[in-house]
Amino acid sequence: MTLWFLNGIKKGIKTEKNPDESMFKPDYPSVLEGKSSYDCPTGAISNGTWIKEKCIFCGRCDLRPTGNQNIYNIHGKMPEIFKRSFYLYPIDSGTCGACNAELKSIFSPQYDANRFNIFEAETPRHADALVIMGVYTNGMEKIIEEAYNAMPDPKIVIAMGACTLSGGIIGSGINKKFNVEIAGCPPTPYSIISAILRYRGD
Amino acid sequence: MKYYKNGIKSGRLIGKYKNYSIYSEGFISVMDEESRMYEKNPDEINFAYGPSAGGLEESIGFTLQTPGEIIKNVDVNPSYKMRDIKIINDDIYTALLKIERVNGYHAASNSVCFLLAVEDALEIENSDSNNERIIEIELERIRSNLHVIKGLCESAGFSVPEKQVSYIIERVSRIISVSFRHRFFFGANLINMVNGNIDYVLKEIGDIEKEFRLLYNDLLASKIFMDRLQENGIYKDVNSIGPAARAAGLKYDARIDSKSLLYDGYKICTYSSGDVFARFMVRSNEIFSACDIILNTGIKKHYMKKYDLNKSGEGAARIESPQGDIFYYVKIDHGRISDIIMSSPSVLNLYAFKKALPGNIFTDFFFVWESFGIWVSEMGVNFI
Repeated sequence: MTLWFLNGIKKGIKTEKNPDESMFKPDYPSVLEGKSSYDCPTGAISNGTWIKEKCIFCGRCDLRPTGNQNIYNIHGKMPEIFKRSFYLYPIDSGTCGACNAELKSIFSPQYDANRFNIFEAETPRHADALVIMGVYTNGMEKIIEEAYNAMPDPKIVIAMGACTLSGGIIGSGINKKFNVEIAGCPPTPYSIISAILRYRGD
Repeated sequence: MKYYKNGIKSGRLIGKYKNYSIYSEGFISVMDEESRMYEKNPDEINFAYGPSAGGLEESIGFTLQTPGEIIKNVDVNPSYKMRDIKIINDDIYTALLKIERVNGYHAASNSVCFLLAVEDALEIENSDSNNERIIEIELERIRSNLHVIKGLCESAGFSVPEKQVSYIIERVSRIISVSFRHRFFFGANLINMVNGNIDYVLKEIGDIEKEFRLLYNDLLASKIFMDRLQENGIYKDVNSIGPAARAAGLKYDARIDSKSLLYDGYKICTYSSGDVFARFMVRSNEIFSACDIILNTGIKKHYMKKYDLNKSGEGAARIESPQGDIFYYVKIDHGRISDIIMSSPSVLNLYAFKKALPGNIFTDFFFVWESFGIWVSEMGVNFI
């Protein structure tokens, strides 16, 4: 017989410390620096300037990764009421599946987003934030609208990934107002947690 | 095309794409047979679930016909997030960026299969890089199978093992990131070249196997877990692929029956009961066999060569992705894609799910769904 509680205790604490200190930080995606005249297929390099929202981090240009994963934009400040618990409702507009997987990863033991009072909601009715992922698709437009309308006030919208922000390499982005915009293809779990904490003012 | 014939129905059915039926040795253009409509009894109700709901990782709609507890029939609509991907007239490397994003969680399988088809079309010798590709795909298989097992633990409400699997998944993602530059293999594959260094994979993979084996033994010792999986979602059909076929005792595996990417001396893992438990067993054993393959596949050191891609031709390839056979056909006209056919394993797996679910009760739904490892993203793709 397996006693899961004891089994879990035996494994010890696997959660890493403060995200800014010890979390695993891959090169891609991260802030890119340098100059490049590469003819970027997503238009992420314009007159030598890097546009993070359009970048799919394919690594084909001369820009070099810095490892800094703070690749997000914050608009406004999180309502006070969300500081003690913040429920995310993910909605897939047209993803390749990678953003979905990375969002799930923030709840893995290494990151454990629950300790920052970040949780996943099972329905938009219990959600504080709608997390939109993927390119614009006809079939999901009405569903996203309905999910947003079903959420109680106050509510915010988080856009996750290059597809949502700009269409990336696949299609068109989602034409909505976002409170938090997280770039990356897909954004790493670290980027997602860091963006939410920054929005909260932590 | 070296190994496949257009217009010939030969071998086993591995998938469908638009009006093509794809077989293991050829593909033919046929219109889909009209599927038989389910006749609902007056005492049954339609229960709609999705396309966006807690418990669903991707957008997909289900309509369950039920008189109360037992599920009599299920209709599935995977087209909500249908993506039109403009790929015709793209050069090969621009097309590759899009192929990687057909199914990001299986980007290695998709991009390797696409490149094998391109190399077939342009008659590029590719033996230098195929062993590295095998390692890449097996690493992807480990993560993908763990993802399915995580879904089964979640369905059973087993939070401790679910978190333990999540922990191993994240470790594998980090191994992929360190070795192949990106957590989802984006940018790792080129013509006859893998952009990666497998030293770190070889260093860490033994630990992953050890960690998973402990968890696997604990799960097998849990009678409650076994009880939820056994005799649930039974599916045995010769028109199945991947772990679903092998869980029904069928020795179907592109690792031994496709010439595109052959594995030396690979022994197929099978189980006979065809239920969720059998699919769990096959997936788990394939994690162990993947670790063995990674440790025992030798790598040829080679350097990037310059190839003339401004050529024309048609090529096809089939490999064993974590969910089953994946197939790409490409026609290239002076270095640009002029036609493409892709058969995703999730199409036949979805068909299998629809057949396996009726007769089960509502609480079995997630076990059956998770056990097939279906990805909606790769089904909802329309290349234009």
